[in-house]
Amino acid sequence: MEVQKEAQRIMTLSVWKMYHSRMQRGGLRLHRSLQLSLVMRSARELYLSAKVEAHEPEVPLPPVRSPDPRLHQSREAEAGAEAAPPDGEPTSPEPMDTREAPRAEETPARCAPRPTKVSRKRRNSSLSDGGDVGLVPSKKARLEEEEEEGASSEVPDRLQPPPAQAEGAFPNLARVLQRRFSGLLNCSPAAPPTAPPACEAKPACRPADSMLNVLVRAVVAF
Amino acid sequence: MAGAGGGGCPAGGNDLQWCFSQVKGAIDEDVAEADIISTVEFNYSGDLLATGDKGGRVVIFQREQENKGRPHSRGEYNVYSTFQSHEPEFDYLKSLEIEEKINKIRWLPQQNAAHFLLSTNDKTIKLWKISERDKRAEGYNLKDEDGRLRDPFRITALRVPILKPMDLMVEASPRRIFANAHTYHINSISVNSDHETYLSADDLRINLWHLEITDRSFNIVDIKPVNMEELTEVITAAEFHPHQCNVFVYSSSKGTIRLCDMRSSALCDRHAKFFEEPEDPSSRSFFSEIISSISDVKFSHSGRYMMTRDYLSVKVWDLNMESRPVETHQVHEYLRSKLCSLYENDCIFDKFECCWSGSDSAIMTGSYNNFFRMFDRNTRRDVTLEASRENSKPRASLKPRKVCTGGKRKKDEISVDSLDFNKKILHTAWHPAENIIAVAATNNLYIFQDKLN
Repeated sequence: MEVQKEAQRIMTLSVWKMYHSRMQRGGLRLHRSLQLSLVMRSARELYLSAKVEAHEPEVPLPPVRSPDPRLHQSREAEAGAEAAPPDGEPTSPEPMDTREAPRAEETPARCAPRPTKVSRKRRNSSLSDGGDVGLVPSKKARLEEEEEEGASSEVPDRLQPPPAQAEGAFPNLARVLQRRFSGLLNCSPAAPPTAPPACEAKPACRPADSMLNVLVRAVVAF
Repeated sequence: MAGAGGGGCPAGGNDLQWCFSQVKGAIDEDVAEADIISTVEFNYSGDLLATGDKGGRVVIFQREQENKGRPHSRGEYNVYSTFQSHEPEFDYLKSLEIEEKINKIRWLPQQNAAHFLLSTNDKTIKLWKISERDKRAEGYNLKDEDGRLRDPFRITALRVPILKPMDLMVEASPRRIFANAHTYHINSISVNSDHETYLSADDLRINLWHLEITDRSFNIVDIKPVNMEELTEVITAAEFHPHQCNVFVYSSSKGTIRLCDMRSSALCDRHAKFFEEPEDPSSRSFFSEIISSISDVKFSHSGRYMMTRDYLSVKVWDLNMESRPVETHQVHEYLRSKLCSLYENDCIFDKFECCWSGSDSAIMTGSYNNFFRMFDRNTRRDVTLEASRENSKPRASLKPRKVCTGGKRKKDEISVDSLDFNKKILHTAWHPAENIIAVAATNNLYIFQDKLN
């Protein structure tokens, strides 16, 4: 449990560092970005394996996916999701986000788990077989509404649990970024316009994919 | 052979007694970002000492002639020339500001009365000529009193100007500007022993330049993967061999060093030697990749060894043995348990440099709390010294410091928790022939020398 918390904290920290590197004078540094992503990767690895151990008996889904090779993919996707902020708006940092940074670092262990957990599940279903039919109908409807409003598929989900004190700056940030991101997605030529309503999995997956690209771009682009 | 982490020996490193000589820079508590020293370098004779700062300035100190009236005062270093080497720029295509910070300075071997040095920021390398002028030509009759050119038809006499003595003036003039060859941030420059070429390295590429030619360079190393998703390492430092002009090394963020021979092919993507020490699996942590990244690589003056600095240690490699270093010295092993906090406060990304003594018998590198470490390679003794204004009385001996690494703190020891991580010594330089060292501590430059008995 302790290990898991620590891994979580380091992941959150890494995300913030990545985000703030963008605003650094002189631009993003490749060496630093690489190191941050490596730390995040090993933290994530540890976090997931700790999670698997903790939830093995009760939760059937994570164990299926964590130990297998796709873990890598999903890890990267999530890393991408978290690292997305920088690219969402490269030149104009959002003041709100900046101000929230320290607070997020103060309470990362408590506020971070929720979003991560949520996104993991959703992505999992998307990655595992791409057709988790049982989940589709209810989610689908909500998703479409949200998309029309320009919000992301994960937002409603995250709002579902009672608004907790645990929801610190991180989820807020995530929401902001998600919103930005879905905007990006909507106008992205790469995203097939027909895809979104198909199944719950896709929206969760596609942002992740392109966020992964963004992470890569964050490393590449100068 | 591992040195004792954080230890100190009473006799001092190399059995030398170091004493304070000078300190340069303002005393103010408030340090302007632009005044922070970002590089220090002695020239080949050791008579000149150059510093670069985050504000893009280069300050050159010259050693004064020894004063016969004061036998104990060996030549002090005084400001010789100051100039603005780099200005902040803006890359409009990428919408990015280019910092003026001087990343590295390298002197060229002196060939005439003038001195030349290369300075670089993240993107542009400049060749500067530093020359003296103590005479000026006078007696022209081509201009009138107001400085306007006279009508040539009204000049009837031929007058030869004469050289008249004047106050010594030191001029720094940019002779060459090597730009637009680096996509990433330049971390190293190194002048070749052929005295005609030099290399510049950024995160993914190394270029070879001729000192006279600015409009082209040759790419000699390119580790950029076709797909940047596959990027696993970056180049962190590079240097030419001091005697073999075809050999250079570069270090990577994975803690490995590649030695390349430029005779084998134009693009040195296949190394001649690969230096790597197997990782100890027991010490793996989140931060293993960061702390194993090499921040500096330096050949010994002899060219037989090279030294690499990673976050916690400094290693000496024999060029003839690739499998492991011949020496590993712990610089501040006590920080291993603090890596998480150091990650939080970004200190873990600090890039400490290292340097050899003139005889290659000792090495020096920096640490936190304005501490720096020296390791004697023959006696295997090490010492921790401090650059501080408190003991900056003329010729005051430097007292070895000791960091308490657990257990009961003894008198004169400092506990790990009370180290000041804002005070760090990243850049140091050792005079090529004498025991004089220059230590950059934020905006101050300390000069220490061995004590004459």
